[in-house]
Amino acid sequence: MAYLNAPISQHFAAQELPIAVRSALGKPLRRAAALTQLALVGRLASLAENRRHQPTALLWQSPSGPRAETLALLQEVCIGSGEPMPLDFLAIQPAIAAAQIQPFLPGLQSASYLPLDTDGKAQWSLLLNMALNWLDEGRYAQVLCAHLDLLPTIAESHWLTLSKEPLENPLLKLQLTSITADNHLPDTPDFPQHLNLWLQQSNANVIYLQSPAAYRQALKFTRI
Amino acid sequence: MRRPVYIAGSGLLCARGDSPDAVAASLWAGDYQAGKRRLGEREYPYFPLHLAESDWMKRAEQAVRQVTSQLGPLAATTPLFIASSSFQIGYFEQQGEPFNLPAANAEFSCQLALWMHLDGPCSSFSSACISGFSAIEAARSLIATGQIDEAVIIGLELTNNVTLAGFAAMELLSRTNSRPFDKNRDGLVLGEAVAAIRLSATPSNWHIAGLCTGIDAYSTTGPDPDGGQIASVTVDCLKEAHFLPGDIELIKVQAAGSPGTDLAEANALKKVFGEKIPPLLSLKPALGHTLGASGIAELATLLACLAADQIPATAGYSEADPEIGPVSPVDRNKCHINRAMLNLIGFGGGLATMIIERV
Repeated sequence: MAYLNAPISQHFAAQELPIAVRSALGKPLRRAAALTQLALVGRLASLAENRRHQPTALLWQSPSGPRAETLALLQEVCIGSGEPMPLDFLAIQPAIAAAQIQPFLPGLQSASYLPLDTDGKAQWSLLLNMALNWLDEGRYAQVLCAHLDLLPTIAESHWLTLSKEPLENPLLKLQLTSITADNHLPDTPDFPQHLNLWLQQSNANVIYLQSPAAYRQALKFTRI
Repeated sequence: MRRPVYIAGSGLLCARGDSPDAVAASLWAGDYQAGKRRLGEREYPYFPLHLAESDWMKRAEQAVRQVTSQLGPLAATTPLFIASSSFQIGYFEQQGEPFNLPAANAEFSCQLALWMHLDGPCSSFSSACISGFSAIEAARSLIATGQIDEAVIIGLELTNNVTLAGFAAMELLSRTNSRPFDKNRDGLVLGEAVAAIRLSATPSNWHIAGLCTGIDAYSTTGPDPDGGQIASVTVDCLKEAHFLPGDIELIKVQAAGSPGTDLAEANALKKVFGEKIPPLLSLKPALGHTLGASGIAELATLLACLAADQIPATAGYSEADPEIGPVSPVDRNKCHINRAMLNLIGFGGGLATMIIERV
C-alpha cells in the first residue's frame, strides 16, 4: 500500500518554461534540454523541501521525448559537418536529466525513462505497479511518477507522488486489489488531472485505474 | 505476493554470432576481431551485425525476427518490454530530409511487437546504457508481484551515425580497440546487437536474485572516479539477494576500456570486495559496447558461457594500470559458476547491478 498527496499538473507556454525554472531555482538550469527543465519544475513542485533528501525513485514517461533536440541533431549530423557539438548529443539522451536534477533532489537514487509508442496513451498502470512494488520492498521512501510532453507551443506535465508513509496531507491510499468496480478512470496522459477532479467533485470513496494492460490485479485509489 | 523470477530463455544476434551458444563458442575460441566504421575523415573500430541487407528497416526486421525465433513459442499476449537508446534513428538518417519523426518517440516499438507477433502490453525503456536492466526490472516487478506470469525483454541497438558521431565528439571512442582495466586503455568501441530474454514465474535454470539501479550525478558523461555510488548500488543488490560479497563467483564488469569509468568501477570493486575481488570478465572487447542493448546482450552471452562452463578471456588486457591496482580480468577457464554479478555503468549517470543464481 502507498499514500498519495494531491496530484500535480503543470502547463507552460514554451517560452515560460525557462522562467519557471529560474523562479523555482533562483537561477537558470544551464545546458539543460527542455524536457529536463520540465522534469525539474515538476519534481520540485511534487516534493516539499523537507522530503527532497528522502530516498526517491523517478519513473517518467513521454510521447514527445526530446523531439526538437533530436531533429536538430539529425540536421547537424546528416546535413552539417558530421560531428555534433557534445552538448547537442547529450540533449537527446533523456537519461541525462536525472544526473542534472539530482543536485536539487539529493535523495534521487534511481530513474527510469519510458518513451511512449502511441501519442495520447500512457503507462500510468505500469509506473504505479512498479512504484508500489518498490515501496513494499522498502527500496525507497517515495516514488515520483510522471508524464511529460513537449509540444511546439506548450509544455505540460502530470505528477503523482507515492510514499510508503503518509505525507503531511495525504489524500489517497493506493493498493492492488482483485476486486474491480465500474467506477474507473482510463489510463490517459492526464490521469492525475482526472484523479484530482474526482477528488474534488465526486462523493465516492473509491476509484480504479483502468489499464489496457489487463494485469491480474487492479489499482484501487481510496479517499482518506 | 512475492515470488522468484526465472530466466527461461534467450536470443542473441551480435558481431560474434547469431545465437547465445554461437557467441559463447566464438568467445571461447578467442574470436575478438572488430570491423571498421567511417565517420567523415575518421575511422573507428566497430562491431556490426553480419547482415547483408542495406535497407535499415528491412535489416532491423531480419535481426528482430531472428532473435525472436530463438525464444521458442510465445503466447501472442506475452507482455513485451523494449530497451534501446537509439530506437530507429538510423532509419531517419537513411531516409534523409525531411526527418519525419513520429509524434510518439517510441513508435518503432509497435513495429517491433508486430515483427515478434506479440499483441499484449508493450513498454519501452531508454535509460542509455542501463536501458536493458531497467526493462528487466519492470518485467521482474510485475512477475514477482503476480501481475503477469511471463515477459519478453528485447534490447536493440542498430547502426546509426548520430550515436557514433556523438561519442566521437566527446572523445569517448578508442581508435584501436577496447582494453578494459589496461594501463593503455583509451576509450570504448561501439557495436550493434539485438538480444532478448524470457522471464517467467515458472522455475528454470537461473533466477534473478537481485537487481538494483542507481544514479551517479558526478558528471553526465562519467561516474565519480572514487566509485562510491557504484559500490553503493552493488551493496544494495547484494543485500536484496541476501548474499555476502564472498558468495559472488564471477563478475561481468562494465569495463569497456574507458579511462575514467574503468577506474571508477575498479575502485567500487575494491570498496565492496576488498582484497577478495571475484574473477572479472568484460564482454565489451568482443561484442562492442551495444549501449541500450548491452545489458540483455551481455546477460544472454554470459548465460551461454555459464551453461557451457566456459569462461572466456577478456581481450585487450595486457598491462596493469598502477592507478587501478590489482584489478584485472580472469584467464580463460572452465569453472562451474553458480552465482554471478553483472554491472552496467551508464552514460548519463545510470548505474545497475544484477545478480543471477543457478537453481
